[in-house]
Amino acid sequence: MRVGVFICHCGNNIAGTVEVAKVAEAARMMPGVAFATTYMYTCSEPGQEEIKEAIKREKLDRVVVAACSPRMHEVTFRRTVEKTGLNRYFFEMANIREHCSWIGEDKELNTNKAIEAIKLAVEKAKQNKPLFPAKFKINKRVLVIGGGVAGMQAALDCADGGLDVVLVEKSPSVGGMMARLDKTFPTVDCSICILGPKMVDVSQHEKINLYAYSEIEEIKGYVGNYQIKIRKKATYVDWSKCTGCGACIEKCPSRNAFDYFNFGVAPARAINIPFPQAIPKKAKIDAQFCRQFIKGKCGVCAKFCPVGAINYEMKDEIVTEDVGAIIVASGYGLIDLDKLPEYGGGRYPDVISGIQYERILNASGPTSGHIERPSDHAEPKTIVFVSCAGSRDKSIGIPYCSNFCCMYIAKQAILTKDHIPDSRSYVFYMDIRSPGKGYDEFTRRAQEEYGVQYIRGRVSRIYPKGKKMIVKGADTLLGTQVEIEADLVVLATAVTATTDARTLAEKLHISYDPHGFYVESHPKLRPVETNTSGVFLAGACQGPKDIPASVGQGSAAAAKVLSIFSKDTLESDPQIARVNTNICVGCRKCIGTCPFGAIEEQQLRDGRIIANVIETVCAGCGICNSTCPCGAIQLQHFTDNQLLAEVNALCLT
Amino acid sequence: MFIEKLKEAVRKILPEVDVVIGYRQGFDPLHATPYFLDKPEQVDQLIWNPLCVQNLCSYIPFLKGKVGVIVKGCDSRAIVQYMQEKLITRENIKVIGVPCLRVISVKKVMAAINQQTVQEVTFEGDNIIVKIPEGPKTIPSADVAPRKCATCQLATPLQYDVLAGEAIQSNKPQDTFEETKEFEKLSLEERRAYWEKEFDRCIRCYACRNACPMCICQDKCIAESRDPHWTSQRANVTEKAMFHMIHGLHLAGRCISCEECERVCPMDIPVAKIKKKISMDLKELFGYEAGMNPDDTPPMYTFKVEEATIEEHEI
Amino acid sequence: MSYLAGKELRIVGFLCNWCSYGGADTAGVGRFKQPTDLRIIRVPCSGRVNPLFVVKALLNGADGVLVSGCHPRDCHYSDGNFYARRRLEMLKRLLPFLGIDERRFHYTWVSASEGARWKNVVTDFTKAIHELGPFHQKEEKTECS
Repeated sequence: MRVGVFICHCGNNIAGTVEVAKVAEAARMMPGVAFATTYMYTCSEPGQEEIKEAIKREKLDRVVVAACSPRMHEVTFRRTVEKTGLNRYFFEMANIREHCSWIGEDKELNTNKAIEAIKLAVEKAKQNKPLFPAKFKINKRVLVIGGGVAGMQAALDCADGGLDVVLVEKSPSVGGMMARLDKTFPTVDCSICILGPKMVDVSQHEKINLYAYSEIEEIKGYVGNYQIKIRKKATYVDWSKCTGCGACIEKCPSRNAFDYFNFGVAPARAINIPFPQAIPKKAKIDAQFCRQFIKGKCGVCAKFCPVGAINYEMKDEIVTEDVGAIIVASGYGLIDLDKLPEYGGGRYPDVISGIQYERILNASGPTSGHIERPSDHAEPKTIVFVSCAGSRDKSIGIPYCSNFCCMYIAKQAILTKDHIPDSRSYVFYMDIRSPGKGYDEFTRRAQEEYGVQYIRGRVSRIYPKGKKMIVKGADTLLGTQVEIEADLVVLATAVTATTDARTLAEKLHISYDPHGFYVESHPKLRPVETNTSGVFLAGACQGPKDIPASVGQGSAAAAKVLSIFSKDTLESDPQIARVNTNICVGCRKCIGTCPFGAIEEQQLRDGRIIANVIETVCAGCGICNSTCPCGAIQLQHFTDNQLLAEVNALCLT
Repeated sequence: MFIEKLKEAVRKILPEVDVVIGYRQGFDPLHATPYFLDKPEQVDQLIWNPLCVQNLCSYIPFLKGKVGVIVKGCDSRAIVQYMQEKLITRENIKVIGVPCLRVISVKKVMAAINQQTVQEVTFEGDNIIVKIPEGPKTIPSADVAPRKCATCQLATPLQYDVLAGEAIQSNKPQDTFEETKEFEKLSLEERRAYWEKEFDRCIRCYACRNACPMCICQDKCIAESRDPHWTSQRANVTEKAMFHMIHGLHLAGRCISCEECERVCPMDIPVAKIKKKISMDLKELFGYEAGMNPDDTPPMYTFKVEEATIEEHEI
Repeated sequence: MSYLAGKELRIVGFLCNWCSYGGADTAGVGRFKQPTDLRIIRVPCSGRVNPLFVVKALLNGADGVLVSGCHPRDCHYSDGNFYARRRLEMLKRLLPFLGIDERRFHYTWVSASEGARWKNVVTDFTKAIHELGPFHQKEEKTECS
């Protein structure tokens, strides 16, 4: 065996704290190593050329690159190696940057650690076997989870690209958060006016199959071949008959339902349509508020429905869809006011959240766009906006910035002035974050043209005094305490992951960060991919994001799906379990522990029952491998012998 | 006589099966040996006494066709465990149960008679009478019983198709793992030294593995394989210890405490001790005992999303 | 390498590719300084870690072994860490019976985003192993035959 070792300086990233020449010298002494060298940037084109030349010149049959994390460049170097005719699995990578040069301070120890990392990789490489991917057919349909602006954009781009799209939206209408907004910054466009056409496109596109008021029940399969179970929640209204006329809503006697769309600004009816532009524009009953369900008698809506669409007996329905890829655009949530006790914790009606104020500003909202405060419906003259209400606050577990609050506060302050010219607006802020195109100009306009008074400091307390709310805070620029008597206080509440984000991630087998936001494959270079191939992210489910960023990601995720679907087949990863039929004793333990049902019984001609791996179903976790007592089932590229070679390289010295 | 009842049961079953496994006299009066019979005239060779110690179930997973087997209470846990692991088709096995309150350890008898030649063995009440050159020696059975008998709860087998004799109740206290807990009182250094000494004696004859009813890999055992190459053939204590760890961990949640491994060890290494410790932990963690309920799943091959008994460890 | 004996102890880490290996990468990218003793073996999933690998490492020269996977419920393969949790817990309880301090073996969960947590795990575990000292005396490794 002739192993070649290529040690990367990575500029100074590695060479700064690791003596690469010494490492190469030590590598040359390792059994099986025929050649070792260092290079400034191994991943560069000349660096890769050097590997290729060395493979030919030195007749290398195994290659080890000691550089950054294999999660970064393993694919790159495998391709390099493959170009010379070597099997790509004859390549191993030693991580001497993220796991070594970047974390250790002692050059001698780092150098030693790098040498051992290489030793490990060399020993593993010597055990490596050639592996060959199989090809399998892909189902060119895509599932989009979430019908907000990111999901709709993704669905439309996929559909325009010729793919069949299954769009699943949890609430009764598509539109998401953007449909709730009055205007958008920095252009002050009417939000629904620009979103409406997209919503209509979604509903009318022949390639898009919309499941509104539905949730993901179960996801099985792998890239190219997923089986999705979708729960269509009971609406108690037959949508094939409902015309959205609204007669039922008018007559509904249960008038104290929670209005989810309006974030509870005003009560709704138990049977409702969320907003005039809803798509689909169909009514649904919120059973927990409906007299028919609570008391067992009412039936008013059924009586007044002109088309007989009401059906109190309706049950949830499970439908199955097969797709080849999934775009997750499940959006974000907002913290509840009760997380902010110093701001009243939701007890004061005139302390509301930004999204509630958005609904009050909105012409289709509960106040028809007239600004009135919830307590007495009076027009407020003094309005205080509090930014970072929960955001950037480690004490409640939200250390991050919610991204778009600074901008919407400026917008809301401007709109307030437009609505009530004799009003005064104050904004308490920590920093004004306005890095987008035209954003900073916009916040300046709020201050300079609209006279919004910005106070740099945090609000410490909000409490009522008569009909007013007292907002106490600091002005850190003036170094004084400030107290403002406000008629209405608007809190820019922190953006969070949705409450069911984690459950959905578990169904998708994707990771989430400690806050519940989904983790992208690489923060810089693979922002819409996940570590689960075939699953892509768009919008705020990955982290707080404004509309243009969400739309951009929606399109990006669609492009990723279109690119994998541009082929008819995909290569399967050969790093899967394989059974040595000579060794397998047929104990079936692997069958029971496989999370994917990828192992079946097989009867040999001599009557022996042994295990057999269904190649397309095996995901390569290796649980079977560590379950198998006789070592008959081995996860390729991570076999017992390969891992033992690594253990021995470290321990038997 | 009980033996007649047993022979009667075997005769009855023999036409339904391809082979019956029982015991016959071994090379001396102290040794019983497994006996495979498939003809009625062989039935008379069968014996039954407290020296019939071997767990005959160990053969079953490897036999084709229908098999009759003589099974004691302790042995019957193997049948249950095979059922859990789907290693046998229960319908193909005819279990001839025998009630048993105690067997006798040949090793302990030999120690009691100073390894002299045994000329004759008889049983009287709760005593074994061993005739050696210097005359008969009476030993209370309880003194020479394997330790598993002291806490045996299965006087009657858990599984049987016919029972020779009457079902009886155990008269022993429950196993409370006293020995295991006692051993844990030693210091870490003492325990390490203990095992180093014990394992060092191992000659890697694999008798423990071969006798184990749950060691279903047998000649495919990873202790002897090069692919995968878990242990080398070097004769140092590390490799020996590795073999015993393989044996122990492969039996985690599967060991039925028959202690056959320890019975057959020519070097008297207490190999069952490790398995017992694991069994104790798994009983505590998962309320699981191997070989008791055919519908259970061995705890290492299943999980709960929330494990009430496993807490995250601090460093 | 023996020339650094005294400065370092032998710590072997089995890290799942999707979470903990990524977490270690994240810690590196964030330049979170850590002790250098740990050597990392990449495995696809903590469920791949047969407890016998841990035993093998400890018997053959490791002073400490660390297994780290995805947080429960967050496994890339959905169930791998659930199996790992049971099997490794069993092992952790068994080790002291054999005279191996259970603190020499630790299993935990670190996600790809938890760079800071990874640094703490490595730092604390390395510290704990140094407090326990070397597990193997060198002369012990002579062969009997």
